[in-house]
Amino acid sequence: MSSDPAINLTGARQKRYSVLQKLVSRALARNLSCLIVPGPEVALAHGLDVTAAGLRIATTPRDASVLLIVGDLPGKMGDAVAVLYAQMPRPRAILMVGGQTPSTLSGDDISSDLSQEDLTEAVGQLKRALADGAFTDSPEDFDASVMHARIEYVCPMHPEVVEDEPGSCPKCGMDLVAREAGESTPEGGSDHEHHEDHEHHGHEHEHCHDQEHQSHHEHQSHHGHHEHHDGHDQDHGHDHDHNNEHQPEHAPENAGTEYTCPMHPEIVRDEPGSCPKCGMDLVVRESDDHSEHEHSGHDHGEHDHGEHDHGGHDHEGHDHGSSGFMSMIEVTKDLPRSADGLQMDWLEVPFGPVFPGLPGGLKLTLTLDGDGVTEGQAISLVGVTSKGDNVEESEEMDAETFIAYLSAAIPLAPVSYRLLACLAIEQAAGLEDDSANAGARTGALERERIASHLGWLAQLGRQLGFAWLTQRASTLQLQVREANRDSLAALEPALRTLGTRLERTPLLKSRLMGVGILPTESSGLRGPVASAANEGGDAWARLWQRLAEISASLDLIKSGAEPELPVLRDVGDVAGTGEATVDTPRGEARLSLKLERGHVKSYELDTACSHHIGLVPKLVEGQELGDALLAVGSLDLSPWEVTS
Amino acid sequence: MTVAIVLLALLGSAWLLAVIEGWMATGRLSPAAPLFNGLAHLGRESIVPRSPDRVFFEAAPVLLLVVAVLGMAVLPLAPDLIIADLGTGALFINAALAYVLVAVIMAGWGPDGAYAMIGGWRFLGQLIAYSMLIVMPITAVAMRAESLVNTAIVGSQSSLWNIVYQPLGFVLFFIAAMALAFRAPFDLPTAEGELGGGVDAEYTGVRLAVLRLARLTLVVTLASATTVFYLGGWHGPLLPPWAWSLIKTLAVAVSMLLVGRYLPRIREADLMRWCWIMGIPLALVNIIIVGLLILVVP
Repeated sequence: MSSDPAINLTGARQKRYSVLQKLVSRALARNLSCLIVPGPEVALAHGLDVTAAGLRIATTPRDASVLLIVGDLPGKMGDAVAVLYAQMPRPRAILMVGGQTPSTLSGDDISSDLSQEDLTEAVGQLKRALADGAFTDSPEDFDASVMHARIEYVCPMHPEVVEDEPGSCPKCGMDLVAREAGESTPEGGSDHEHHEDHEHHGHEHEHCHDQEHQSHHEHQSHHGHHEHHDGHDQDHGHDHDHNNEHQPEHAPENAGTEYTCPMHPEIVRDEPGSCPKCGMDLVVRESDDHSEHEHSGHDHGEHDHGEHDHGGHDHEGHDHGSSGFMSMIEVTKDLPRSADGLQMDWLEVPFGPVFPGLPGGLKLTLTLDGDGVTEGQAISLVGVTSKGDNVEESEEMDAETFIAYLSAAIPLAPVSYRLLACLAIEQAAGLEDDSANAGARTGALERERIASHLGWLAQLGRQLGFAWLTQRASTLQLQVREANRDSLAALEPALRTLGTRLERTPLLKSRLMGVGILPTESSGLRGPVASAANEGGDAWARLWQRLAEISASLDLIKSGAEPELPVLRDVGDVAGTGEATVDTPRGEARLSLKLERGHVKSYELDTACSHHIGLVPKLVEGQELGDALLAVGSLDLSPWEVTS
Repeated sequence: MTVAIVLLALLGSAWLLAVIEGWMATGRLSPAAPLFNGLAHLGRESIVPRSPDRVFFEAAPVLLLVVAVLGMAVLPLAPDLIIADLGTGALFINAALAYVLVAVIMAGWGPDGAYAMIGGWRFLGQLIAYSMLIVMPITAVAMRAESLVNTAIVGSQSSLWNIVYQPLGFVLFFIAAMALAFRAPFDLPTAEGELGGGVDAEYTGVRLAVLRLARLTLVVTLASATTVFYLGGWHGPLLPPWAWSLIKTLAVAVSMLLVGRYLPRIREADLMRWCWIMGIPLALVNIIIVGLLILVVP
């Protein structure tokens, strides 16, 4: 049984219970759950049935014991993956399928090719490895550079007390609070994954990752895609933007010592003394160090989440003991006011790049006001490069390589982009329209459209917690993916009844109707989103548009030729320019390129998703969280197709 | 002895439920799976988030389990198979289940994370929606039994189960019970697609095992309550009373799990609107009908 070469699990756990260990290891091996990166939709698009291979699909890193990476990940995802891995409880393992393990991880435990058989075999090996080596005497630290941050410990009352180790304050005896050292962490390098995309550097570093270095095994990081602390922390940065009332009372630029009340940061004095509001002793601070102290004071005193952020529960007595009753009005008076008139703490919370309700690689940042979204924006971490201008000779791709590159860069619609590249290159080479293969190519495109829309339905099911839909749509997608005309005909009844089933599903209509309505002046709409805009333009209309397209594609395939993957005709060492348009499952994509000596000298790609992602801020603004996510989901954004 | 039997029955039901849940998810019926699952949880690290409210974080799963067990303590499996046949049994269930809210909010607040916290507060809104629909149908049940004693409530259904006598109340109670157990489609506090697991998201290892067990136990307790209030408790032909109680309880629990698979998650605003605009008037109508029936039919 264990004829495989021994696999040393880098994610093994410290050996402790030697008696139970064997039994527990076996149980662990029988019970593997995986977090799929970039996302389950990518695994499905590659034709991988992860559940059939013996892995349960987990939705959070906390619930996963295997990090399943499908395909090569663009560089920007590397840090996110490292944080996700760090959040997984040991024993844990990395399974790399069909690609290179990101350099931010210290290598994979096992890798396999991109096929169902190889995956199943790899999972089997992994299970045996876990049964044998889930526990070890000397577990390896996982120490990715993304996690690096020096932690220092400060007294909440005496900011001048800074120690390298936890302990209590020599002045007041309070427990020291951890914070991340070096407010001026440079961008990149040792920077945190979750900081990379926002502008409030310097404000939020202090409470992040504070206990990380206390215990490498237990606390390395927090939910990469959850990034809770980040959420809270950014919140302060946010307050800065929206509410200048905190600032004016600061003594201006003159460097020197100021005294402020730990509870009431608006009290700033030049001399020591007690706070006129609560009578506490004022504490020293350097006036040129605004952000940090402003924030800590701010948190403890005025925010209802203040103590939450800081782990301030340790010193509750100090927090509220002397200030007496905390009035809700006082607590919220300086906070921004939301649409419903309530003043609440605003949280800037990241959703993604690996989030169960969104396609992997899409990072949505929402500013939450309770359960409502006040503003949001989406970016892609995996987008394809939109332009190649006068590519260096050494990096020039010949026509075949370019086609392979483009279709691999877009795993959710590889056939469409393969076709797009073929058409553009053939036009550049001056070839006539290929009427012989046109039918087969259309067949392949339409088949991909069906599969892609089924993938979207599965994603919708994941977002809505609609397990039946996810299961049904995923199964069908796997069957449709490489089906020929006959097997598609056999699947036709199942595909057509999907709509009937959904129409009869209670709650679905009320859940989707009126969600994600686009503003009337929206421009740049393409594909199903554009077609649905005339039918009400909400998530419900988009669902029906996609179902209608599935039907239409079935008809096209039925009356057309056998679907066949587009293959580039021989173009030789030609030069010229070409332009092509393909109606991909997500809308029209255009590619124009210039060939020299049969190599792609420059190209420009224009995709539907690049336009659609710009709709996100307007779609989510003022919506409830669930509706906002549903609205974004209903656009069927493929982050891979968002050009950068 | 009674305590041991009831607890064993509770644990057994939770185990069966876990087997069925796994069957629905994977299509494989494996009786040992929950056992291995539990063991695997013990083998995993139980991570404490970076700056938790330690008391809340640790206490929440345990509290949820205690609440579910407390609720079960006043529900009879058979005429004499009940841990405490309180004079206010039907009321006690309400009181015990109120702490589900406390546990969920603690689990939301404890880990110091945005997702969990939003999940926790969402459940507060959910309570506002479902709580009246737990209490008001029970009122009608107690009216018919003229007692709050749970064994008397079962006794009152010896000739006709409440599901027939007051079907409206049953439907409302069933829906409210699912909302209370925060199972799909009412899983707003955990909502995977919206909150990445919400209140569950930060629990791992042993703590997660306790939390999962607690959630299953809560479903069993609520199913048992539904059985006692509406399905005639232990009444049934041939089989011994305790067997009938267990069969009915499991049937209700499984249907609670099944319903969620075929429905999308409800919007919180819709849940609240429907519960108050439709649910509460219907619950009042139910009380009036039951009251009239009691007056008219001797």
